Parts: sequence; C-alpha cells; structure tokens
Amino acid sequence: MAGRGGWALLALCGALAACGWLLGAEAQDPGASAAGMRRRRRLQQEDGISFEYHRYPELREALVSVWLQCTAISRIYTVGRSFEGRELLVIELSDNPGVHEPGEPEFKYIGNMHGNEAVGRELLIFLAQYLCNEYQKGNETVVKLIHNTRIHIMPSLNPDGFEKAASQPGELKDWFVGRSNAQGIDLNRNFPDLDRIVYVNEKEGGPNNHLLKNLKKIVDQNTKLAPETKAVIHWIMDIPFVLSANLHGGDLVANYPYDETRSGSAHEYSSCPDDAIFQSLARAYSSFNPPMADPNRPPCRKNDDDSSFVDGTTNGAAWYSVPGGMQDFNYLSSNCFEITVELSCEKFPPEETLKSYWEDNKNSLISYLEQIHRGVKGFVRDLQGNPIANATISVEGIDHDITSAKDGDYWRLLVPGNYKLTASAPGYLAITKKVAVPYSPAVGVDFELESFSERKEEEKEELMEWWKMMSETLNF
Amino acid sequence: MGFLWTGSWILVLVLHSSPIQAFPKPGGSQDKPLHNRELSAERPLNEQIAEAEADKIKKPYPPENKPGESNHSFVDNLKLLKAITEKEKIEKERQSIRSSPYDNKLNVEDVDSTKNRRLIDDYDSTKSGLDHKFQDDPDGLHQLDGTPLTAEDIVQKIATRIYEENDRGVFDKIVSKLLNLGLITESQAHTLEDEVAEVLQKLISREANNYEEKLNNPTSRTEIQAGKIPEKVETPMAAIQDGFTNGDNDETVSNTLTLTNGLERRTKTYGEDNFEELQYFPNFYALLKSIDSEKEAKEKETLITIMKTLIDFVKMMVKYGTISPEEGVSYLENLDETIALQTKNKLEKNVTDNKNKLFPAPSEKSHEETDSTKEEAAKMEKEYGTLKDSTKDDNPIGKPDEPKGKTEAYLEAIRKNIEWLKKHNKKGNKEDYDLSKMRDFINQQADAYVEKGILDKEEADAIKRIYSSL
Repeated sequence: MAGRGGWALLALCGALAACGWLLGAEAQDPGASAAGMRRRRRLQQEDGISFEYHRYPELREALVSVWLQCTAISRIYTVGRSFEGRELLVIELSDNPGVHEPGEPEFKYIGNMHGNEAVGRELLIFLAQYLCNEYQKGNETVVKLIHNTRIHIMPSLNPDGFEKAASQPGELKDWFVGRSNAQGIDLNRNFPDLDRIVYVNEKEGGPNNHLLKNLKKIVDQNTKLAPETKAVIHWIMDIPFVLSANLHGGDLVANYPYDETRSGSAHEYSSCPDDAIFQSLARAYSSFNPPMADPNRPPCRKNDDDSSFVDGTTNGAAWYSVPGGMQDFNYLSSNCFEITVELSCEKFPPEETLKSYWEDNKNSLISYLEQIHRGVKGFVRDLQGNPIANATISVEGIDHDITSAKDGDYWRLLVPGNYKLTASAPGYLAITKKVAVPYSPAVGVDFELESFSERKEEEKEELMEWWKMMSETLNF
Repeated sequence: MGFLWTGSWILVLVLHSSPIQAFPKPGGSQDKPLHNRELSAERPLNEQIAEAEADKIKKPYPPENKPGESNHSFVDNLKLLKAITEKEKIEKERQSIRSSPYDNKLNVEDVDSTKNRRLIDDYDSTKSGLDHKFQDDPDGLHQLDGTPLTAEDIVQKIATRIYEENDRGVFDKIVSKLLNLGLITESQAHTLEDEVAEVLQKLISREANNYEEKLNNPTSRTEIQAGKIPEKVETPMAAIQDGFTNGDNDETVSNTLTLTNGLERRTKTYGEDNFEELQYFPNFYALLKSIDSEKEAKEKETLITIMKTLIDFVKMMVKYGTISPEEGVSYLENLDETIALQTKNKLEKNVTDNKNKLFPAPSEKSHEETDSTKEEAAKMEKEYGTLKDSTKDDNPIGKPDEPKGKTEAYLEAIRKNIEWLKKHNKKGNKEDYDLSKMRDFINQQADAYVEKGILDKEEADAIKRIYSSL
C-alpha cells in the first residue's frame, strides 16, 4: 500500500488543484484528456460543455459545475431516488431560483426515462451548461427566458437503467438493455392510465381535466408504481408546470397526445382537444432540427412505418398506441402540456456523435422553451384582490379546462385565433371574456370574480334602494 | 511512479503558467492524426530499428551496467523518437532546436529562479548517464547543418513540440508507442519524461521571461511588484529553494543510480533540509516526517519536488503580476493548511469509501488502497495509449484524478461565477459584490446539498474552502 506517501501525494494534489485556480486566470482551454473510455473526461470543446457520456457521478458533477458557475440563477434539487438509490437530480434555472414568482410559467425537460436512450440525457446536461454560459454572456433570448420562466431540467429519470446500458462493453449497445428501471419496469408504461378514463368521460360525460383523484390511493399505496414514477407524479402535482418535453431515442420525431388509441387498435390518429396547439408545439421543436424536419429523410430502419410523420411530428396513437405513458398523464392529471421527442435513430449512439446531436438540437430546445410564452395568461382574483386558486379556466370550443395555481395565476396555451375564455370557481360567479390571441407573446387577461354571497349582498342592497325610492315616491 | 508524477505535474503547471501564447484549440479529432502517424511512421521505424541494432554494437559500455544498458536502448529510442517527431513540423523543430539549446544556456542566467541554473548543472554534470549519451552517439542523426543530433536535442525537440502544440499528449503518444513496441522500459520512460519536463520548463520560463520584459515597459505595476518580491516572498522562498534544490540534485542522480545508493543520499540530505527550510511549512514537514523514508522514498522525493515547483510557480505568478505578493504569500500559507486538511480528508475518505460501492458504476476510488508503483506505472501506460488531448493533465493515477479533475472543474466554474458577479455588480453601480454574503450563501447551500445527497461532504468542503480562500 502506498500508505502515507500516497495520501500525502493526494493531499498535495488537492492543494495543487487550488493552485490551478490561480493560474486559471490565464488558462485558455480548461481542457483535459478523454478517450472513448468512461474515465477521465472533460474533453471540453466549448465553454465547459464536454461532449461525452456522463455516468451518474459525472452527471452530478456537471450539474454542480453549472450551479457553481451560475449560483445566482440556478439551484439543484432532487425529486426522489431511483430504485437503486440514485438521486433524480433536477437543475432549475430562473432569476429567482427556488421560488415560484406569481405569473411566471414553469417548464420542464425530462430525459433518459428509458435508460438506454441516452442522447436526451446528454443534451439536457449540455443545455444546462449552455443556458448558464449564454446567460452570462448576455444572450438576449436566454436572459429573457431565464428572467421570465422557471426552467427545470432533469437529465435522467432512469439513472439506474442508464448505468446498465452504459456498462455494456463495446460500441454497439443492445436495443433493450437498460431501457427499464432497476426493477424491470418500463417507466413510460407505468403511469396511471388516464386516457381510458377521459375516453369514457367523452362519451358519457364527466370532467375533462385533472382526472387523477385520490393521490394517496392511486399513487402512494400503489405497489405497481416504480419509485421513479411516484417521484415524478408528486413533482407534477407540486409544481404548476405549463409546458414540458420528454426526451427519448430510437427514432426522430416530435410526438404529441394522445398516445393511446380510443378504439384500442394498434394505430389510429387519436387527437386530444388541444390538437391544434400540440401540432404547433411539436413543430416548434422539429422545425429547428434539420434531420427531424427533413421530409425526405429515410426512416430509421428500412421497414419502419413512418407514414404518420408530418413535418417531423406525429400524433402518438397514429404512430403506435402507448398506454400508461408520462406524456398523456401530464395532460390529463395537470395543466401541463407535454410532448415526447425522439432524438436519434440509434438509442445509444457513439460518444463522438454527441456534439453533432447537440448542434442539431440546441435551437430546437430553445425554441421549444419559448413556446411557453404563448396563448393567454393572467390572474384569477376575487373582488378584494385575493388570488383564487384552483379556479377553472375554460375555452369555448376546446374540451379541456385548466386551473389556476396557488397565486391565482394561470397560463393557457393557444394557437392564434379569437377565443372566449371563462373563469369560474365554486362559490363565485363565472366571468367570460373575449380574447384575440396572436402567435406570441401571451395575452394578459385577468379575472375578478364575484362570490355568490357578495352578489346576494349586492342584490339585497339594490332591493333596499329600490324600496326606499319607491316608498319616498309613493309616500309610504 | 514518483517521477512520472513529478514530470506530469511540472508539465501541467508549466503549461498553465504560460501567459500569452494563444494556444491552438485542440481539435476534436485527436484520434485521426495518431492513426496517420502510426501508418506513416511504420516504415521509418523499422528502418530505424535496423539502424539502431547496428549502432548498438558500436557503443562503449559505461562503468555501471544498469544505467549503461538503459542508455543503449535509450539512444536507440531517441532515434526512433526523432523519426516520429520528424514527421511533423520538421523545419520548425529543427530551427527551434538549433536556437534553443544555446538560448537556454544563456537565458538561464536571466531568469530569476536560481532553480533553473541548478537544473542545467544537474543536467550537465551529475547525470552521468547522459554524459555518456553525448559521447556515445557518433553515428547519430544530423541536423540541417550537419551537426549530430544528440539525445539532448531530441528531448529538446519533443519539449518544443509539446510547448508549441500545448499538448502533453504528444509526449504521451510517443512514449506509449515506444512502450507498446517494447523499445523502452517504464523506468526509461520516466527518465525521458523528466528530461522533457525540464527542458519544457526552461522553454516556458524563457518565453515567459521574454513576455515579462515586454510588459515591464508599458506597465509600472509589474515593476512595483517585481520590486516588492524580494521584500516579502523571496526571502523565505529563496531559503527554501536552496534546500529543495539540494534535495533535487540528489533526486535526479538517484534516477540513474541503484536504489540503495540513492536512499543513503536522500535520507542524508533530507535530514539537513527539513530542519531549516520547512519551518515555513509545518504541516508539510509533518507530512514528510510521517512518510517512512525507507519504503516510500520516491513519494517523499516527489512531494518535495511538487512543493518546490509550487513555490516556484507562485513566485513566477507574483513576478508576472498575475497575483499580488500578498496573495502569493497567503496562498502558500493556505497551502500548508490545505495539505493538513487534505491529508485528514483522505484518511476519512478511505473509511467512508465503502459507501461508494453501492453504485454499480465503476469506481476509480477503490484503486487507491492497492497502490503500488508498478501498478501505477502500468495504469499510466494504459492511459498513454488512450489519452487524446490534455491541456490539463489530470489523470496519471486513478483516485487522485477524480477529485483533482472535478475540483478543477469546480474551480473554473467558481471563477466564472465570481467574474460574472463582479461585472454584473459594476453595472449596478456597486463597488464590490458582497463576498462575505456570497460565502455565507454558498456555505449554506453546500450544506443543504450535502444533506440532500446532491453533494459529497468532501466536495462541499472543497467548495467552501475555495470560497473562503478568495
């Protein structure tokens, strides 16, 4: 054993690293060596972005580095732990990290839900670093985004699966190894199937939103749910997300709800009430990704059926039916609109290709972020100015309502057009307003709701007034 | 292991200290040139081997067998190296070689560090092996003007190449190829690295010196600081320098002598040194003492070299105005404390290492316990084969690399943060951002993150330490 000598060396090395800081003022390229191997990387080619696969420790370090560089606008937190105990790390970027500012919409990116679909994981790490760098450089688009949005980035929802997939020897990774979590559960089939319920409600009447009742029974006490699934469900319930994307691999398309066919068949276009805005959102991603948007791109595999793909987008069920997926769960249990983006024909491509995937996707990732500032947004308050949480905002002609968050704030994504918005809440009188919605930015519409009791009081007063007037006139 | 450490650290620090050179950005495709080089170098290599075989017979034997043997194949290897390095930038190399050996000897006097002068002395007089090389290479390679290309020249060439390309990988590639071909042994690789490192260091200090002369005219600040140096930093430093360089003399000699001889000399010299110079570094001294001189002499040497190099670099930075003398002194004072902390942490880390075995991810940390110089060297050989590019060389050994590379990344991130905050606050008409507030915030956040499992305790401590040293 090297013993004391070895330790002494290590001690000095640590000290030497601090020396590196002093010298760092001159360092042009904080580069380091890397090979295709998993070990020492930091082949930093651009501003601290190292285009190589990050295992769990490196993932953590990368996020910590972003936080250290941008402490004023970032925060790392964890939504829970994977089955094998890895933290499900999220980095949040906003001008007031850790705080929901009333009126500021919340966005999330989730990657690597299938552990062997690795590109999303890496892209999100690069994105976090990129946003931090660009913010500090004063990039207007990024600064605006960070000041007006709360961006949550979860590079990996399935870190256990990733480790399994990444541990495979050789370049060629198996199509299935590492896909599911450590328990063998496919997380994207593990969410409560709310599609079934909404399809029934469509036919027989019933609510068209927030269909997850009894969180405790259906989630916490449900032994069939993976810890990762449970963690995400709680995350979705806790934070009033508005827009989201779920990154996958194995094909190249932006997929939108519904994922499950109404009839139960293998494929069939199954549109959701917000089909128009979803198509627009999906296109906002795909159109900035050249291979994804390329109409002449051959399918990933020779016999693939990509007949449902239009402009790099597809309805989920038209492509193939997926029950229990996270995308539809978002739409039907909360106010969050989520699409699924398939980033690469190869699920776990060679490390050398990561840089080009970044180049292909970085504009899409930013463009999709900007979509959150569309449609209509505002506050629902009572006549005293107090926020009304959980008020319902419905749009005439769209059979999907959303609700206001704790501060009474709401965000309703809509394609350009003329709409009638109605805000209502139990014990209050509903109010309808007409709105003309452009492509962007979002139009501000606030509602001041009068409660029933207030109205009764008002009516009583009116009556008294009338009686008084009558009696004076008629000399009672 | 020790000398590769020395060499690599010197290389790292040396590369970092270069102030102006706009280093070319390493391209992403380091693999391709490597492959091409292999392909293109193959034939000449074979020819060289044939030539070298013929030459071997002609060489006279030096008095000591062991170093003698290493000399023979070493010269052959140098020939091979020459063949390899000649493939790229032939003219440039030759020009620089013609000028640099001479320049170096001249410039040594100019550079403020007494250390360099000693190195030259070492290089010339105490390394008996190399002396032989000078004489033993009559049929060797030639430069453009017909003068024979000596071993020193080849080393010079490599060093120059590394300097120009800012790429330590150059050396690694050459050495790994040689090792793979079995043409040199590990110890020879170590020796070569030392020599290249020394020459490289000279190169850099010479360049830095030229730059500093340029600076001295427009900026009065540098002069003031240069003037200040003797008052504050130099006096304790110089004393330490002398002590260390004495040790260094013996170090380099022991490279070529047998182990027992070296040990005798080493223990003798260190005994003298420790009392006088290391009083300035009580923790370091304690650390040295705690190392068993018999068994871990190499580690001890390395430590002293590293320390010496560190001090040197702080001096250089102060001289070039990168930091103020006060900062330099306080840095060195902090260094001592940091050493104490790090040693303590490493002790703790070993205890808590089992935690890491939870994760199936391959962990370099488990290698730490079973270190031995042979294993390390073998590991390093593997590394050379796979290293692509390193402007920051941070992985000769398994465990130290991880915290080192990570800490460097964190340091860089923190630096960027501070820079941005300074700039940002200036715009807001604030004179100076509130550092103590920042520090408190970071401390608080770091602790919170440790609780939540986002940061290791060690990382959090490192981050807090970095902030507290600002």
